[in-house]
Amino acid sequence: MKIKINKEKTVMAIAIGISCFALMLVMFMQFKVVRQTNITEIETMRESELRAELTSWQEKYKEINERYQEITNTISQYQNESESDQQTAQLLEKELEQLNLALGKTDVEGQGIIIALTDNEGKQIDDRLVDRIYPEDLLLVVNALFGAGAEAISINDQRIIAMSDISSIGDVFLRVNSERISSPYIIKAIGDITYLQSAILGKGGCIDQLKEAGHDATVTEGRRIEIEKYNKTIRTDHID
Amino acid sequence: MNNKKVISFILGLMCVLLTYGIVVQVKTINSTGTTTSTNAKANELKDAVLKAKEKYDNLYRELEQAEKNLEEERANATQNNSELSELENSIKEANKALGLTEVTGKGIEIVLDDNNKIPLNSWALDPNILIVHDTDIMTVVNELKNSGAEAISINDQRIVTTSAIECDGNVIKINGVKIGAPFEIKAIGLQEVLINVNKVGGYLNYLKEDRFLEVSINKVDEIKIPKYTGVMKFEYAESK
Repeated sequence: MKIKINKEKTVMAIAIGISCFALMLVMFMQFKVVRQTNITEIETMRESELRAELTSWQEKYKEINERYQEITNTISQYQNESESDQQTAQLLEKELEQLNLALGKTDVEGQGIIIALTDNEGKQIDDRLVDRIYPEDLLLVVNALFGAGAEAISINDQRIIAMSDISSIGDVFLRVNSERISSPYIIKAIGDITYLQSAILGKGGCIDQLKEAGHDATVTEGRRIEIEKYNKTIRTDHID
Repeated sequence: MNNKKVISFILGLMCVLLTYGIVVQVKTINSTGTTTSTNAKANELKDAVLKAKEKYDNLYRELEQAEKNLEEERANATQNNSELSELENSIKEANKALGLTEVTGKGIEIVLDDNNKIPLNSWALDPNILIVHDTDIMTVVNELKNSGAEAISINDQRIVTTSAIECDGNVIKINGVKIGAPFEIKAIGLQEVLINVNKVGGYLNYLKEDRFLEVSINKVDEIKIPKYTGVMKFEYAESK
C-alpha cells in the first residue's frame, strides 16, 4: 500500500516537474523575444532620429549653398566694378546695409505677431495674489520666438540684439538695453506667423503659463509689423 | 486528503500565475510589433546622413575660402581710398559684432555640469534639481550679457541675435545644434565686470548652493570664441 502511494506520488511529481519546466522554458523564450523587440524599438526610434538628422543636414547644405552663391557673386562684382571708386563704394554700402539689417541697426517691417502682456501683480485671484512678471518670463518668450525663426524682435520698442539682456530694476520695472520699461509689455516679432504662434501658444506654452499665473496676454498677427532699430552703439571694445 | 487539497490548490495557483505571465508577455510582443527589416533601413539611413554631412562639410570649407577671398577683394578695392577703407572697416566691425568672425580677448570661462556625485536612489527630492536645464543656461547667458559681455559661446556655439536655447528630450540645442553637459560657457568683455556673475545672490551661486550643480568660474586672459557657423537669413524682415 505504502509503495503504491509513493509510486503515484512520484509519477505526479515528475509530471508536475515536466510541465513546470516546459512553462518556464516558454517564459524564458518569451523574455528573450521581448528583449530583442526592445532593441528593434530603439532601432526604429533611431530611424526617425536619423531621418530628422538627414533633413537637417540637407537644409543646412541648401542654406550655405545660397550664401556661397551670394559671396561668389559679390566677389565677381568687386572684380568687375572696382574700376571706379563710386561703384566700389556702392558695393560696400550694399554689403553694409545687409549687415546692419542683421545687426538690428535698421528699422524693419514684415509679417509677424504682436504679444501684449499686462502685469497683474497684486490682483486677487481665488485665494492668492498674482506675482509680478519677471525678466525670465520675457526671456522665455523671446527665446521661444527666436527658436521659431523670428528675424527681429522688440520689447516696448527696445530692439533685441545679440547682447541685449533683460533684468529688473527694483520690484516694478524691467530693463532692456539699459532702458527702463514697464507693463504693458509689447513684444513684436517678425517671421513666419504660423511658426511664431505655434511656438508660444498652446497648452503649457509660455503665454499659457503667464495667463495661468494671472496676467493678461493677447496675441495678434499682422502683415506689416514695424520694429524699430537699435539706437545705441554696439560695443566691440574687448573683442579682437 | 487534506494534504492533497492543499497541494492541488497551490499547483492551480501556480498555473494561473504562469499563464498570466505568458499572456502578458504575448501581449507585449504583439504591441511592440515585429520589425525585421529595420536594421538594413537604419544602416542605409546612417550612410545617407554621413554623406549629407560630408557634402555639407565640403561646401562649408569652400564657403570659408570664398569669405576669405571676398575680404581680400574688398581690401584690394579700397586700399587707395581712405573713404572706402573706412567703409571696409565698418564691414569688418559689423561682422565682428554679428558673430561672423572668430574673436579673442580677455574674459571668463564658466563650466556648468550636472551633479553626478549624489546617487539618485539616496536623493529624496526632485532629481531634476541636479541637472542643468536649458533655462539655467538661458539665465546665465542673460547675466553675462548684463555684465557687458561682447561675445559669448556655449560648447563652441556662438551666441548671436537669433540664437535660441532649446530643450530637445534630454539634450539641449543651441543654434539648432545638439550639445550636452558639461557646458563650457565663454564670455569676452571687461573681466572685472564679467566676474560679477560670481556674486552671492547671482544665478550661478544659486545653481551651486541650492541646486548642487558643479560650477566653476575662472578669469582667462586669452579666450578664443569661434564664429557662428549658420547663415543669417532674412525672408520676412525688410529694411525700411
